[in-house]
Amino acid sequence: MTAVLELVGLGKDYGARGAVKSLDLTVSRGEIFGLLGPNGAGKTTTISMACGIVAPSRGTARIAGHDIAAESFAARRAIGLVPQELAIYDDLTPRQNLTFFGELYGLRGAELARRVDWALGVAELGERADELVKPFSGGMKRRLNLAAGLVHQPTLLVCDEPTVGVDPQSRRHIFDAIRALRDGGTTILYTSHYMEEVEELCDRVAIMDAGAVVASGTLAELQAQHGGGGLEIELEGDEAAIAAAAAAVTGAVRDGATLCLEVRPTWAPAIAAIEATGARIKRLGSRRADLETVFLGLTGNRLRDA
Amino acid sequence: MLIPTLKKELQLLRRDPRVVIRLMVLPLAFITLFGFVFNSEDRKAAHARPVALWADPAVAARTAPIAAALDGSKLFEVVAVASEAEVKRRVASGALDVGIVLGADFDPAHGRPGKLVIDTGASPQTTGPLIGSISALVGRAYEGRGPSPVVLVPTPADATRASIENASSFQITVPGNAVLFGFFIALTCALSFAEERRTGTWRRLLAAPVPRWKLLVAKMLPYAALGTAQVGILFLVGALGFGMKIGGSIPALIVLTIGVACCATALGLVIAAFSSTEKQISSLGSVLILIMGLVGGCMVPRLLMPHLIQQIGLAVPHGWALDGYYTLLVQRGSGFADVARPIAAVYGFALAFAIVGVRRFRFDR
Repeated sequence: MTAVLELVGLGKDYGARGAVKSLDLTVSRGEIFGLLGPNGAGKTTTISMACGIVAPSRGTARIAGHDIAAESFAARRAIGLVPQELAIYDDLTPRQNLTFFGELYGLRGAELARRVDWALGVAELGERADELVKPFSGGMKRRLNLAAGLVHQPTLLVCDEPTVGVDPQSRRHIFDAIRALRDGGTTILYTSHYMEEVEELCDRVAIMDAGAVVASGTLAELQAQHGGGGLEIELEGDEAAIAAAAAAVTGAVRDGATLCLEVRPTWAPAIAAIEATGARIKRLGSRRADLETVFLGLTGNRLRDA
Repeated sequence: MLIPTLKKELQLLRRDPRVVIRLMVLPLAFITLFGFVFNSEDRKAAHARPVALWADPAVAARTAPIAAALDGSKLFEVVAVASEAEVKRRVASGALDVGIVLGADFDPAHGRPGKLVIDTGASPQTTGPLIGSISALVGRAYEGRGPSPVVLVPTPADATRASIENASSFQITVPGNAVLFGFFIALTCALSFAEERRTGTWRRLLAAPVPRWKLLVAKMLPYAALGTAQVGILFLVGALGFGMKIGGSIPALIVLTIGVACCATALGLVIAAFSSTEKQISSLGSVLILIMGLVGGCMVPRLLMPHLIQQIGLAVPHGWALDGYYTLLVQRGSGFADVARPIAAVYGFALAFAIVGVRRFRFDR
């Protein structure tokens, strides 16, 4: 597979503080790559370095084979950035916005008009292309924000939390658009706070924490390597008995009638403690690790709390 | 890059009513207000300035109201002298700044104005307001209404320098307010940088395959153009609406105006470089621009300020710009040579602001 994004030893310091330590990452053509991490993990700084917005303190970034420092314009031409903020002009129409951003990338004349119409179609804003953006809903603005990043048909689309604050319908629309772009050969780097988004959308994931990638791979690989050996004990009995059983087993977290354990208990005392409360064990099995569990296992924090 | 950005900025500005209010409505209101205040007989002056006056007894009936108007204005105190020569001697010696000669043939209605004797070699910042205010007062006293007829012809005390076009109070208030509010383009420009940062469009611009210097130039160019148009429109309104006269070279006036607009835009970059939020820009920028305008003589002519403050006024571009404008508006036949220093100073300030702004501007903040 051809590498579209290659980060080698990429790092950024702000004074004595290392915002990103030393990052190695490769994203292949036609891949949706998720960058997952809490606020302050270094996701936006990484994106800023990859897009040539911020100069790295060390390391290199290559976009579609072009070094972002040495061949800056060729590398930037290959990137479409969808910032976390609604980076569009409210006092212009969608068509004026897209025309301006297209012109920044050297598009002119009929080609520009064609690309603008295509991007309006992706954002499903064709019918409102000539109305001011200001009164648009958050979802419509998010879609335009996405369209502005891809009007010049980039090789690599960098989406920095592109669904913040949007309604489910618009989120679904953005997901569909991103999948369609991937199917058309565009590579997508996607950052998010939302585990479920990354799980649903991304082919591969890197988890960042405190300026470093702590794990990367497909979801299945991450689950296998970092999911841990959690157990589920499903109970039967009245509410008081189940509550007492949850209190009796060390490290158990109650989820309805199920007790979840991150660490395998010593069986005999645990079963005795449960039975002493009057509750009965209905089922006992391994717990499937989701991305949240993987993140918890790797960083010791839940993503939302980090 | 330059044309798309210019087009985009103008589209955005066109839809922002605050810009029209700040750049056009406010200065026109100030010009009108101050123009009529300067013409008003009710104004008060802290210190009356002595004016030498010689009037031929043959025209005493016509000249008495003029002397009374000057005295009554509280801006001036008439010092009666014995002859035209004495008026010129006092002005030439520097004993008095200005004198008036109303000879036996004084009859402005028939094209025979009096003489306003003044040291034309002095700073136009000094002579402009004097000529404007005295002409206005004398014209009003002669006509009993507005200052339109030519009642006094400015005349050099030593008879070696070129004479100056007569002036109304709008010769002062139009350039004063045009420069004051022309510099408000700095605020508009700085706010546009902050807004781009706040909305994230700045990150998009930085990610585009465009050199950063070009990004800055493209961002600032529309404001320089807008500032030039703004000051131009204010002068046009001053000339057509308020009878302001332009005695000197129009091309020189345009070059100076472009310099003022560039200077204001570069100041906007400095303000943007030293501020990180729109609130900071609004407060820091407004205070800075108003103080510079005040010191530079936009609100109160530097003529009326103490000598030291008059000199301090030249530490800001406003003072130089006004020197240039007063010369070009008031001095008949004045051209590039007469305003070379003000023009050089204004462009020098623009360059200095641009250097400071570029050096301090953080692209990736």
